[in-house]
Amino acid sequence: MSGSRGKMLVAVLRHTPLILFTLIFLTFGLLSPRFLSYQSFENIVKQASYIGIVAVGMTFVLLTAGIDLSVGSNMYLSAVVAGLLIRHHGLPVTLALVVCLGVGLLFGLVNALAVTKLRILPFVATLGTLWIGRGLGLWLTKSALVEYPESVTRIGSQRLLGVVPLPVAVFLAVVICAAVLLRWTTLGRQFYAVGNDIEAAKKAGIDTVRVRGAAFVICGVLAALGGFISVSQLGIVNAGFGEGREFDAIAAAVLGGTSLFGGIGSVFPGTLLGAVLIQMVTIGLVSAQVDLYFQPLVQAGIIFLAVLLDSIRMRRLAWLGRRHIRIEETP
Amino acid sequence: MGRRFVRRGLLSENFVLYLSIVFFAILYLFMPYIASGRNLANLSSNLWPLLALVLGQMFVLILGGIDLSQTSIMALTSVVGGMLMTTQLDPTLFEKSPLWGILLSPQGSPISGTALAVPLGILAMLAAGMFVGLLNGLAVAKGRMPAFMVTLVSMMFFSGLAIYLTKSENIMYLPGGFTMLGAGEIGPVPYSFFVVLVLAAVAQVVLKHTVLGRWFFAVGKSIRTSVVSGVPTERVVILGYVFSGFCAAVASILYSARLACGRPTLGQNLLLDVIGAAVIGGISLFGGKGKVLWAFFGALFFVLLSNALSMLALPFYAEPVVKGAVILLAALLDVTRTRLLAREIVA
Amino acid sequence: MTETILQFDGVSKSFFGVHALHDVTFSLPKGHLLGLIGENGAGKTTLMNILGGVLRPDGGAMRLRGRDYGPRNPAEATEAGVAFIHQELNLFTNLGIADNLFIDRFPRLGRSPFIDKPVAKAQARKLLESLNLPLSPDTLVDRLTPGERQLVEIAKALSTGAEIILFDEPTTSLTAGDTERLFRIIQDLRRQGKSIIYISHNLGNVLELADEIVVLRDGRVVDQGPREGFTVDKMISRMVGRDISQIFPSRQSAPADETLLEVRGLSQPGIVKDIDLTLHKTEVLGLFGLMGSGRTELARILFGLEPFERGQIVMDGVACDGVSVRDSIRRGMAFVTENRREEGLLMEATIADNLGLVALPAFASPSPVRLVRARRLREAVARVAESMRIKNGPVDRTPAKNLSGGNQQKVVIGKWLLSKPSVFIMDEPTRGIDVGAKYEVYSLINDLAAQGTGILLISSELDELMGMCDRIVVMSKGEVQGAFDRSEFDRERILHAAFKGHRAHQRGARR
Repeated sequence: MSGSRGKMLVAVLRHTPLILFTLIFLTFGLLSPRFLSYQSFENIVKQASYIGIVAVGMTFVLLTAGIDLSVGSNMYLSAVVAGLLIRHHGLPVTLALVVCLGVGLLFGLVNALAVTKLRILPFVATLGTLWIGRGLGLWLTKSALVEYPESVTRIGSQRLLGVVPLPVAVFLAVVICAAVLLRWTTLGRQFYAVGNDIEAAKKAGIDTVRVRGAAFVICGVLAALGGFISVSQLGIVNAGFGEGREFDAIAAAVLGGTSLFGGIGSVFPGTLLGAVLIQMVTIGLVSAQVDLYFQPLVQAGIIFLAVLLDSIRMRRLAWLGRRHIRIEETP
Repeated sequence: MGRRFVRRGLLSENFVLYLSIVFFAILYLFMPYIASGRNLANLSSNLWPLLALVLGQMFVLILGGIDLSQTSIMALTSVVGGMLMTTQLDPTLFEKSPLWGILLSPQGSPISGTALAVPLGILAMLAAGMFVGLLNGLAVAKGRMPAFMVTLVSMMFFSGLAIYLTKSENIMYLPGGFTMLGAGEIGPVPYSFFVVLVLAAVAQVVLKHTVLGRWFFAVGKSIRTSVVSGVPTERVVILGYVFSGFCAAVASILYSARLACGRPTLGQNLLLDVIGAAVIGGISLFGGKGKVLWAFFGALFFVLLSNALSMLALPFYAEPVVKGAVILLAALLDVTRTRLLAREIVA
Repeated sequence: MTETILQFDGVSKSFFGVHALHDVTFSLPKGHLLGLIGENGAGKTTLMNILGGVLRPDGGAMRLRGRDYGPRNPAEATEAGVAFIHQELNLFTNLGIADNLFIDRFPRLGRSPFIDKPVAKAQARKLLESLNLPLSPDTLVDRLTPGERQLVEIAKALSTGAEIILFDEPTTSLTAGDTERLFRIIQDLRRQGKSIIYISHNLGNVLELADEIVVLRDGRVVDQGPREGFTVDKMISRMVGRDISQIFPSRQSAPADETLLEVRGLSQPGIVKDIDLTLHKTEVLGLFGLMGSGRTELARILFGLEPFERGQIVMDGVACDGVSVRDSIRRGMAFVTENRREEGLLMEATIADNLGLVALPAFASPSPVRLVRARRLREAVARVAESMRIKNGPVDRTPAKNLSGGNQQKVVIGKWLLSKPSVFIMDEPTRGIDVGAKYEVYSLINDLAAQGTGILLISSELDELMGMCDRIVVMSKGEVQGAFDRSEFDRERILHAAFKGHRAHQRGARR
């Protein structure tokens, strides 16, 4: 067997998300040169930041072989609570952010309890809290718009040190913290262990309730943060805010190479790439002046391609990694 | 004594039915008009199309999969049927459709207005639903992709397609022969009941009495063992998704006929209802468990719940809260039941 | 007199009023290896669960280093220096070796929450070196052989400072070379003063390793003493509670001339090469090879689960150069895989559903709807269950997961009987089942052969094949290295063939 070619293939297969990312970037660049400007790239990352933050949280849950369908409702509820407090009680923005994250944390905690203590399947548990969260938000607002004051929207357009847009800075900070947490702390490694084999994790003395619960709590907090970042850009929260975002977040994580079956995936570069990729496609389609109604079809097609490549990749890697009984003489 | 009774009820297969009956009875005490003819008709017109969806979803859930694309199939088939059957299209609305001038004209499609329009339209809807199901099935069975992602992408794509084809406009002016399916009745019983009854009967026979049905359960319990035992697993999986697509098309026919339009956003908020009803009925998301009766009970309870919530004149936001809580309770109940049953077997 | 490190003193435990352990008393001297044997259900698992803090005893006491010992959970057992190496390894395949070793107690950078990776790696490297395992601590467990994984488990036990290490069937999935290496390491550990409890159905190994042997039967200690007082025959008779005149039932038939299955020049690159095989009517043909010799892979190719590139498989005189599982079944082939939980059974389904799975199409009406003839199926299933003496509850209600290993294996074999196979491939049909159930499986094989079925019996236990087969074909490195008729059976020659080129190859294949 030609070793170098085999190794090349493995290298290519291991980095499909990155390769796909580059290919799509170049394709759009060829279609419309102004897509390649710094301005457009900054724009992509800026718009990817809120869903990216949510997707980072989702990655934690997916790593433990769970799923969180409630992040969209969580975004809505936490943004509503914070917005109402600012409007009606004149809460300062920083405090409102703390409240917002607190609501997200509570939301995550409820999911965590339902999954770990009541032992409800994550899919079903978060499906339930999805509805409850949305309903509570509607109750608080009577389904009316919640407007955020200018003090908040200013954040959305601010730049850190005058260079990096604030949403991007927050996004990158979240990615870095999450990556450090996953790689350099005991809890981080335990996420992978629990996702790989929960029974083995219990036997190895890991507190699986704590680990799985932590994933949902982190996901809840980050969903609220993502929601807040989004609001800082939009300025308003309508009754449909966050609806369906759970699927975007899952898609971003999966595009970044995170497995729905747990134990495999990364925040950096994985989810970061995935989130930016999705936004890149959206903006690329706009700048290539593709029919507005046609764009979702292309987006779906690209996600499908990524999932297909991933499944081929996993099979190829399994095939390459399988045990050989005999070594064939190469002629 | 009382505890044993509760335990029996809890462990019974028909638990959700009993729950529905008790629930209905309590509602009746407070709101006698819940049993009025008009409300019952309303209940049933909501129940049957939902049941069609749950039946299809059940087949996929038994296989250990999931079909998130059902609602996009409804939208797509609604649009396809609408375009084939409509007798009049407003050029100002539809001129930008990619099919304008090819298939569509101000007089509808080439078959519009002919005697064949309705039967062909319905066949095309069913075929389109099965086709999307086939694609899902191929991707899951042959492509070995996770069902969740496959049907998620499929949901995005086909609902996008339905909107793209119509530029997000509803297709009106459907022929009476079609809309009658949604509104027509034999005595007090709507046509939709008979359609879904046939569907449920087919599902029941397939699951309970055919080789294929037993293969469905086997694949859901262990696909590897099924492969070694000679079960044509790929074919079984594909058939499951095709059936789910077929059921979604049936639901789409019933809804479109009732609304008398082809709607590219049809069923948009229905997905969670479907999965919620299946879960409440007791169909396991782990695969290998499911019954037509359970699907019926689940759909029944869900529809009753929605109906009661709307009749209680509760604020609109109460509905999602209650539905979410009910799903959680149902899941909790399932966990408890499984534990009780396990203890029963050991003892 | 050596110091006693662990003492069981009248330990008892019952479940739902049934004694699982009754007044178990024995002691483990420090630095000794104690072989613990008994049939499945004899109480070994319960005893170990009590030792490991998973269960609490109803009566009696344990003493560790002279002090009372009663762990309330696994963590306390680990704390006290008791470690377990289970048959099913407890490793995370998606993580590296160092991560696996320290997953619940990473060394930290000072007081920060961060892992001190250099220290973790250095400690891991030291542990691996002490076990002669020259691997990088970053290597993913996924890339390790079963033997290497076992050593990582041992490293993990050592890293917790274990003084007592318990091995539960550690060799079932190891190659001969790995087993040898494991035994060397166990001896080393003992020399270092670790005390070891070794549980295995492989009585030869127990006899080879142990200083003392304790025999459990029906929850009681029925015999204990130094190894010198035991032979394999004695161990078996003590375990079973009666003298077994023979381990293998006698054959009632001889192979016929008629050929059922012929394999010609079968090759798949990297797996098997130029395999020729002939299986006759009423023949039991043994396929012997070490773990990793290609025997299981060959069986999977024959049955159509894996592809092959060249050669032919001939059944009933019809040749074909590519088969699917469904073709094979249609042509009368049956296959018991080596892993009954993953590929043999629907664990959640009832006994009846499992038994009916393969033959289902034969019980369907001829119409395209293929309705199942439920009553006929039920009767047929009941007949099989009865004839195989599958005990344990009603067949249409009891799920397969509630059965003992032996009964589960009978269900796996039974589900093929309804399709009346002419060629039956069995891969390790007696792995992990106790002596009594083994005897029943052997009798079943004999009955099948007597009825004309040709049986290809794959096993890593040579005694089993020598006791059961008419002919033994030996594989190594994916090739047939020799064939022996019953009259020429000779341990040494067969083993010699099985080891052909094996060691040299292993060295060559190291990554």
